Amino acid sequence: MSNARLSNNIRRLRFEKGEMTQQQLADLVGVTRQTIIAIEQGKYSPSLLLAFQIANAFGVPLEAVFQYEPENPAPSPNSLI
Amino acid sequence: MTRLEKKAWGNLGGMLICVIIAGPGLAIMVHLNTTGTVGLASFLISGLIVGLISYRRNIKSWAKFDEREQKIAARANALSSCVFILFLYCASFVVFFVVGAKNPVPAYFLPAMFVSGLFLMIFVQSAVILIQFAQERHDE
Repeated sequence: MSNARLSNNIRRLRFEKGEMTQQQLADLVGVTRQTIIAIEQGKYSPSLLLAFQIANAFGVPLEAVFQYEPENPAPSPNSLI
Repeated sequence: MTRLEKKAWGNLGGMLICVIIAGPGLAIMVHLNTTGTVGLASFLISGLIVGLISYRRNIKSWAKFDEREQKIAARANALSSCVFILFLYCASFVVFFVVGAKNPVPAYFLPAMFVSGLFLMIFVQSAVILIQFAQERHDE
């Protein structure tokens, strides 16, 4: 099984967005507070649609919210030469 | 408590009520050695009504669940379906070997086996949903 994971900045972004609560964010994107908690803790990887909705709620691009951490990072183009 | 948890508790409660109501009814029918089309028709109609109501309720409530809840429910559905099939498999083969290959079994055994399997399936489904939510809460 792959150890790659999805990290996120939702907690930081919530506080930067005027101390937005988990419930407020959940209401904005149409999920339960438990789902936001699970995503924040990295226990649940949201669908692409929900990920975009969360980014849209903060008014930032998707990559500012979620970061992909691969198990084996791809080699840089320079190392292939 | 989320909607899915409430639904799981509701299913467990509903199941208990069904056992309380239908259990003695079935026992009476077995005692009276019920036969005939009237009994069969009333049984089929009541089953159809309960089936349609639960189907409509499921369709309506499924739309209200968010994607994580739908994944939890799908996992519980898959596991409970496996348990149902395994139960029917075991029940039919246990009888085959206990009673003997050429001996008759009472007619009430088949519906009793099927209904018991259904109850077991709903119980497992609800329990798996509640366990998953309890685990999440424990990890928080």
